[in-house]
Amino acid sequence: MDKILIIDDDEELCELVSEYLGVEGFEVESVNDGETGLTRALSGDYDMVILDVMLPKMNGFDVLRNLREESQLPVIMLTARGDDMERIVGLEIGADDYLPKPFNPRELAARLRAILRRATADETDVTDDDKLSVDGVEVVASARTATCDGNDLNLTSVEFELLADLLREAGKIVKKEDLSERVLGRSLSPFDRSLDMHISNVRKKLGPRADGTERIKTIRSVGYIYTVV
Amino acid sequence: MKLFVKIFLWFLAAIALMVGVIIFVTRTFQTAPMESRWQRSTRNQMLIYGGTATQIASAEGEAGLRTYLARLRDVEPPREVGLASADGAIWFGSENVIADSKDLIARTVASNNAETDLSTDERSLGAAPVTFPDGRKLVIVVQWDRPAPQALFWGSQAGYLRLAGLLLTAVLVCFALAKYLTSPIGKLRTATQKLADGDLSSRVVPMVGRRRDELADLARDFDVMAERIETLVISQRRLNSDISHELRSPLARMNVALELAKQKSNKDTQPMLERIENESNRLNEMISRLLILAKLETDSEVVEPVRVDLAEIVNQVAEDADFEAQAKGRSVTVSAKEHCTVMGSENLLRSAIENVLRNAVRYTAEGTVVDVSLAANNGHAVLQVSDHGGGVPDDELKNLFRPFYRVGEDRTRKTGGIGLGLAIAERAILAHKGTISARNTDHGLLVEIRLDKDALSNS
Repeated sequence: MDKILIIDDDEELCELVSEYLGVEGFEVESVNDGETGLTRALSGDYDMVILDVMLPKMNGFDVLRNLREESQLPVIMLTARGDDMERIVGLEIGADDYLPKPFNPRELAARLRAILRRATADETDVTDDDKLSVDGVEVVASARTATCDGNDLNLTSVEFELLADLLREAGKIVKKEDLSERVLGRSLSPFDRSLDMHISNVRKKLGPRADGTERIKTIRSVGYIYTVV
Repeated sequence: MKLFVKIFLWFLAAIALMVGVIIFVTRTFQTAPMESRWQRSTRNQMLIYGGTATQIASAEGEAGLRTYLARLRDVEPPREVGLASADGAIWFGSENVIADSKDLIARTVASNNAETDLSTDERSLGAAPVTFPDGRKLVIVVQWDRPAPQALFWGSQAGYLRLAGLLLTAVLVCFALAKYLTSPIGKLRTATQKLADGDLSSRVVPMVGRRRDELADLARDFDVMAERIETLVISQRRLNSDISHELRSPLARMNVALELAKQKSNKDTQPMLERIENESNRLNEMISRLLILAKLETDSEVVEPVRVDLAEIVNQVAEDADFEAQAKGRSVTVSAKEHCTVMGSENLLRSAIENVLRNAVRYTAEGTVVDVSLAANNGHAVLQVSDHGGGVPDDELKNLFRPFYRVGEDRTRKTGGIGLGLAIAERAILAHKGTISARNTDHGLLVEIRLDKDALSNS
């Protein structure tokens, strides 16, 4: 059973979510402050973290930042509804997804499943295309490592998936709809910019080519393409 | 006119007037005593000349007297000397001197004393009786060029220098004075504007320095006021965010509980639970919009404006809105688009355009098109969004941007709006120093956003 850690200061909410997710087939533990949350998240006992932004002792962003220094454990952030900044900052620091609070628990369960499916799928399918390499950028699906000219890129699991997906189709346009389905596990919804945010993170971590051109190009209103020289 | 210029000119005028009065008074009231002094010294001089001439005539004879008179004529200051008898016969000197002083000679003879004639401005005449050893009575006449009364400010280099010095000093002093008086007012004004623009930390006292006058008092009072406003607004803002945070928590719990209830519900309770879920979603939406609005109203300034590609945003938002509209049998088209960039916040601008566009999609009639156009116009970016929704009564147009405002019965809650979209759009556009307005066309409502391309480039 997948073990989920909820870090949220609302104890009653934690109880309710635990109950709901329990019915949905997850094993849930909850902690109510940032510091303990970080320690527990780093313990390696969990498959996934649900992280609230407003927390006592250490806020959600700091928890995520500290967590990302050591671990690529999947994280869903619960951001304040209507606060674009929280969402953007969360995705920039390396959250795998976000959910505005108050959230619909069905949506939460769906997103948890999408992220977990992705994480476990990679571990099992060791196939021929386990290793992908395009002009200096290499991703190894089984080890979940991505390197550029030998340097580790430190991608979160969403970013890793996006890059792998684009590399697999290098030189071809990958539609936004498909990326959203395959990587975020949900259909592309209007006015949602999280895909763009993730791609921009990948771009930042990859850096431009030696001649200054971007490796990943945006094809407006269609999708993205990993350019081949 | 600026206060600085006013004070400067008034003080300058005052100084100029003072100088003028001094010159006038000096000229009018000081000429008389000067005249009498001049007259006295001329008389004394003439008495000496007359006495000396008489003595020389008796001691050295006529030849000696001629030598004396010639010598007298040659000393400074330049003068004409003449000696004539009472009937005007010239004994020495040029004819015109004697001719000019007939009256004077007659008076001298009559009084047997020194006499002067200062009736003209250019020269002065003095006469004194001279007695020859043989008893003949003659009159010595001396004509001086009269020293012109020294002008204070012109006619000489020193005068001009004095004038220039005085003017320069006056200008400098007036400038300094005007500056001293007006600079705290300028600072107070800057601080007030900053406060009005939403910078609540704006204070004046540190800028005014160690003054101790009414202006400094005003600055202190301003700071006290600003302090109070800041405290009020901050506590208000905290209250807003606290309320929404506190509201969010029970709502979040309610959502989860609702879902649990739905898992255990039966056919009869299911519709009621659906209804509860809808209402809860509506509450969610309202809270989030209210938060955005509250945020925009307090942080009315765009932090770190960047160059934003408006055409790109319009494209993306229009595409998303079209996607949403297609599902409801409507559509969104971008009919015209020019390349436009403005300084500002991409998020705020996106949110403004999105709100206007979604509002139009919401109210346009089924099967119709919402038209979007973006034009660059004299340094302005003009975005127009027009729908086919029948428009609103003209007298309601200005109210469209008020939070929670709804127009009449035809724009009811059935459309799904909560009445905050246009209010949010307006605040976001105002934060960019732009304008947003609405007007009716023949088929619906047209909302126009105008943004100055470089309005925020210096801030």
